[in-house]
Amino acid sequence: MVQERRILYEHLDVPNINTFDVYRQHDGYKGFEKAIAEYQPDDISKMVMDSGLKGRGGAGFSTGLKWSFVPKDIEPRYLCCNADESEPGTFSNRYVLEKNPHLLIEGILICCYAMGIETTYVYIRGEFTLGKKMLDAALEEAYQQGYLGDNIKDTGINVNIYTHPGAGAYICGEETGLIESLEGKRGQPRNKPPFPAVEGVFMKPTVVQNVETLCNLPFIVDKGVEWYTEMGPTYGDARFDPPKPDQNTGTKLYCISGDVNEPGVYELELGLTCSELIEVAGGLRGEEVKAVIPGGSSAPILTHYELDTRLDFTSLTLAKSMLGSGGIIVMNETRNIVDCLLNIMKFYAHESCGQCTPCRWGTPWVRDIVQRIADGEGRQEKITRPKFGIAEGGRWGDTGETEEIYEDLDLLESVANNIANVDTMTWNTICVFGIAVSWPAVSYMRKFRPEFEAAIREGKLVTLSVEEATVPPEENYAFQQRIIPKEMSELA
Amino acid sequence: MSDEIIQLETPFQFNEENKKQFDELIGRYPIKEAAMLPTLHLAQRQAGYITPAVMRHVADLLEVTVMKVKDVVTFYPMFFEEPVGEYVIRVCQTLPCALRDCKVVLDHLKEKLGIDVASETNLAKGTTDDGKFTLMKVECLASCDVAPVIMINDDLHKNLTPEKVDQILAELPS
Repeated sequence: MVQERRILYEHLDVPNINTFDVYRQHDGYKGFEKAIAEYQPDDISKMVMDSGLKGRGGAGFSTGLKWSFVPKDIEPRYLCCNADESEPGTFSNRYVLEKNPHLLIEGILICCYAMGIETTYVYIRGEFTLGKKMLDAALEEAYQQGYLGDNIKDTGINVNIYTHPGAGAYICGEETGLIESLEGKRGQPRNKPPFPAVEGVFMKPTVVQNVETLCNLPFIVDKGVEWYTEMGPTYGDARFDPPKPDQNTGTKLYCISGDVNEPGVYELELGLTCSELIEVAGGLRGEEVKAVIPGGSSAPILTHYELDTRLDFTSLTLAKSMLGSGGIIVMNETRNIVDCLLNIMKFYAHESCGQCTPCRWGTPWVRDIVQRIADGEGRQEKITRPKFGIAEGGRWGDTGETEEIYEDLDLLESVANNIANVDTMTWNTICVFGIAVSWPAVSYMRKFRPEFEAAIREGKLVTLSVEEATVPPEENYAFQQRIIPKEMSELA
Repeated sequence: MSDEIIQLETPFQFNEENKKQFDELIGRYPIKEAAMLPTLHLAQRQAGYITPAVMRHVADLLEVTVMKVKDVVTFYPMFFEEPVGEYVIRVCQTLPCALRDCKVVLDHLKEKLGIDVASETNLAKGTTDDGKFTLMKVECLASCDVAPVIMINDDLHKNLTPEKVDQILAELPS
């Protein structure tokens, strides 16, 4: 069985680790002290780049690369720490904030030192009252001990950290939505480019990083890049000759919930398989795995045929899903996928910010279709509707022809794909919320089509057995298209 | 008409302590408007909910139009524009909690308090007549490992069963 590899969570259960003294006794602020004593800011940026650290918030974008986009000649620059953890199934940041807030402060200090940043805002979601209280207390201690404020440890560095409470909007977890919200407006995402690294909060260069990403920094600096890159698989991108290394380094705080015996956060090296993780979490509660959501509710679902997929950024992307925020939700044979999709679609319909029309109208529409199917009123008849496409004169519009749409299932797929197309990966919205809606809608429907069809046919929710409910691998689009990446060592 | 509105409103002003907190807050940001969310949180804690008078006061303090404040208040689910109960009970109902029977907890609360679930546009239907409790559904509270969970004001309660809910409600200071 795969063993836990606790790094970020190593001292999480030490009593009073939230206080400065206890944190100091457990190697606290060692990474930051080493950074200011031994390295120049540019060395730290290089180390982060070499470490292959990928953002843990959802997109999995290389942290070092993100930092390299920040112009060095524009002052001031800002750091926004994204603690607006609201993706269903994710709960690792909460424990860091509540139990070990000094680790986050140390991570922020290292980032600020490397990037020459003096002001940091920690955007904490409004519901995390305890987390905010603990972090505020820790910040006060750090100020008293001279680790924050002006001229830290006589190095001439100034860093101020402020907490900023959110107010319950999911979309503020999107980086530009977070920035808008921080500026005191509605949290409606901005059009990109310009990216936040160039023009972010208060129109200044801004680095936006997740809590977990920042918490990795003290360990990279303290223990070195070599130590860090030994963890996790490095795949070779075979499109290049010689293969380009694709790093999935470090550990991940996997949050596992749903039908497992011991739900919780498990810190493991990246790259274990889905079934191994279920094993680590005390095994399945129930007889059989019906489905697994691998990266928060936005991620496309995996069927029981796909449980050998490795849970890292590269493998899941090549399996037409994503690691996202690492929130794994397991469902056993008693669960009805239509019901689960309805729950998720209610979430998205509620949380759409209302800025872009396809999402504002499409999301409730998708929810209504799933609701109709779940209520046993799913439509079986054919619908004839105008066909949109390249019309006369080469413009997009009504082609004057009609097309037939079959049943609610095709309508569901059509509406979802018009918010964001999961096959071409293009979205008609400003932010990626659109794809977060259509990914679950389309993947649940395509992979568990028999269950949706049964609900429409029978006029009520029918829970089929795992075998019956799942589309066989040869008809599963994701299974057919998935690529299993090879590690560098295998390629050589 | 305008006279009537003025009569109906209770005037609002930050109290001493909150004024001090506000002055500290405003120094954190290069522009005043950025202090919007923390200021509204403070104001809501003092006034109970965001009345037009609160919005006007916040707008004056932050040097923005009242409409801009209203714009923000209507966007975020944590700000109330109607009176709510002394205890706001938020029941998580997203997938991981749903897989652990949050519906049982919600139904039990509905029955015990004799109220419906409040919607964002109608908080009154989810509030008890004595103004003690408001029951509402929320999206994921990021505690899926200890599902089902509810939040009563600022406190999170974990691994709930109907019996546990009874116990928690009984222990609330009245």
